[in-house]
Amino acid sequence: MSWTAHLTSFDRRWIYLLIALSVILPMFFPVSFPERVTEQTRSVYDAMEALPEGSTIMIPFEIWPSTLPETEPLARAAVRHAFMRNFKIVSLSNIGAGGPSITERVLREEGDAFGKIYGVDYVNLGFKANYLAVLTGMGTSIRSIYPTDHSGTPLDSLPIMQTVDRYDDVQFVFAISDNATIEYWISIVGARFGAKIGAGVTAVMAPKLFAYLDAGQLVGILGGMKGGAEYEKLINRPEWATRGMGAQSLVHLVIIAFIVLGNIGFIASRRNKAAE
Amino acid sequence: MMRGPIPVAVAFLAGIFMVISFFSTNPAIERVSGDFLNWVSIVSGFTILLGVVSIAHANWSKIQRRKEGWPYAVVLRVFRAGMLVSGFSEGVETGTVYDWLFTNLQAPMMTTMFSMLAFFIASAAYRAFRARTLQATLLLVTAIIVMLGRIPVGQAINSNLPDVTNWIMAVPNMAAQRGIIIGAALGAAATALRIILGLERTYMGRG
Amino acid sequence: MCGDTTRYAVTAAVIVALLACPAAAQETESPGSLFNTDRVNALLLMLAFCGAVLYFIRSSQRGKEMYIRPLPGLEAVEDGVGRATEMGRTVLFIPGTGDIDQAETFAGLAVLGKIAKITARYDTPLMVPCLYPMPLAAASEVVREAYTDAGKPDAFKPDMVRYMAGESFGFSAAVNGWMMREKPATNIFLGQFHAESLLMAETGNAAGAIQIAGTAQPEQLPFFIAACDYTLIGEELYAASAYLSKEPKYLGAVKAQDIFKITLTVLILAGALFTTFDAGWAETFRSWFEVH
Repeated sequence: MSWTAHLTSFDRRWIYLLIALSVILPMFFPVSFPERVTEQTRSVYDAMEALPEGSTIMIPFEIWPSTLPETEPLARAAVRHAFMRNFKIVSLSNIGAGGPSITERVLREEGDAFGKIYGVDYVNLGFKANYLAVLTGMGTSIRSIYPTDHSGTPLDSLPIMQTVDRYDDVQFVFAISDNATIEYWISIVGARFGAKIGAGVTAVMAPKLFAYLDAGQLVGILGGMKGGAEYEKLINRPEWATRGMGAQSLVHLVIIAFIVLGNIGFIASRRNKAAE
Repeated sequence: MMRGPIPVAVAFLAGIFMVISFFSTNPAIERVSGDFLNWVSIVSGFTILLGVVSIAHANWSKIQRRKEGWPYAVVLRVFRAGMLVSGFSEGVETGTVYDWLFTNLQAPMMTTMFSMLAFFIASAAYRAFRARTLQATLLLVTAIIVMLGRIPVGQAINSNLPDVTNWIMAVPNMAAQRGIIIGAALGAAATALRIILGLERTYMGRG
Repeated sequence: MCGDTTRYAVTAAVIVALLACPAAAQETESPGSLFNTDRVNALLLMLAFCGAVLYFIRSSQRGKEMYIRPLPGLEAVEDGVGRATEMGRTVLFIPGTGDIDQAETFAGLAVLGKIAKITARYDTPLMVPCLYPMPLAAASEVVREAYTDAGKPDAFKPDMVRYMAGESFGFSAAVNGWMMREKPATNIFLGQFHAESLLMAETGNAAGAIQIAGTAQPEQLPFFIAACDYTLIGEELYAASAYLSKEPKYLGAVKAQDIFKITLTVLILAGALFTTFDAGWAETFRSWFEVH
């Protein structure tokens, strides 16, 4: 086999091996690069900063366990920022399989780290079936949809819920999502009920949301690991996402290297054929 | 499946009512449309039985005939029974056996499948991004710019790369996506209209 | 035909009754009004679009010729089934991973009916895995009916349409495993797809199948384009059943979509020009299209 043929037809297992090494090695030998903050990430940060201390915000966790490596870092960064500003957080999830557990875990761990108390500083409303009915219903009364929190405690007995019963009572919604529910948060909660919405989504979803950003229906977007890393930089707490960017950088470079090699082989073989 | 005029009439009335509810803020109409949506959830819940029966049938025949890989069908049945028993016996809330099984078995498996995308996109990109034509070359160059622009190394190579990447995502990419979305939305609207009017009966087995 | 007319008449009557309701006109701003006048523009656009679809369907039914551009992906369908027949292998068809409430699922199922007729005709094995139970029930009926129409009702086996898993990554794991074991000759992915699109398409490529895909999800299109031989983009998915069947109900709808798209393009261009040249009434023009 000629060298050009080798370059154009690498066994895909070699590619997989190099990708695996690019992900694993930065975990043992961390590499970090200075992160530049994009406008769409800064807008979310600015929106949160503009709220007075003690404001109440809503953070829905519309994420499946499958995308956690990408979405959890940005979720944690947003929750940390909220707790740093002493915001109260009302959370829920329209993902029945795993959503409430993820919400519970992230809020408890970050809440404990900041000395926040469940029911006073944050609440997990849990899951209710039929997200369209849930999102629409909460516009008139959260209690009509969630009479109790995730563990069955009546909302009326929770201090945080004394002043909250509809979207009008929360000052900002930061929707974390890995699926189409984000568009319902924008079109129902944002457009219909007038809530200010920011989005934290997977990197592959972010381009689709630029339309809403342009139209002013979204305040800002945190897109995937990079969005999370940028946010960690803004709140000056580089953690999971910043570390993950080392692996992401290396993987991107490996993919580019393979594309370049493939093209060198392709162009060379085309020239060889033309010469023959 | 029932194929007479009744399902067509139900589809027509439900469809028209949901259209009406979009144009109304009347509380009674909103309440009824909310009920319609709740019925969807309830009906969906019952249809899961269809899936359970289908998978049970396929697996049972595999085990009976000792087809290749039949022990995996046994594993599937054991775990499905385990999830069912744990879910029905003490619920699915945080701290239950069901939640433990979900968090420690299913969630890592789902995450693993999602992470496979990194490997698959690498091999697909290597194979697909070849400078065969002018358009393919443009696609190739754009992909490399965006990949570099999304990582800090790109910024180190050229400080303008992140801005160029953002422009590609926000302008040409967005324009193309909007075009696709508009066309697809019209297609979806025409399909919905055919369903409401009973012209489209694919779901009843009639093309 | 009479049934169609009645249906159209009832639909029009319901909508017009709503529009004409005197209470609606008076209580424009009331939060509990029967008709939300903030959405008059949406109603007019909807009526115009529905009218156009019904008009062109009727025109097509009356025999008016309607041209539909050839779609290479669909021209490859019959070849793909022929290839599977020659190789003695299966045709894999996935009607998306969306539930039955998605129009893309219906578009996929409509094409499934046409393809099942071809596989029935050639006695080619067919496999239709489904993610959700409702598309499973619908797909079963579609395939059963196609085999009956092809005169081979006994060739239909319930296991052809199979529930794999109720979660997309579990589903793609099951489908990928099946592809690597069974090595299907042709994979057809038509419907709504999400993150699992590349997992299945790349595995299908590794398994050596000819692959035809189509979805209206813009973020999944690059993956299909990279991993499949043919890809239907956005509305082409909805045009697929028209192209394969040439039935008036599909052809008319495609024609109306085209007319409406041209109209929207003109309106977008006008809006862009008014805004660019700062025409005094650009804001008014824009407000006509705002839906509250």
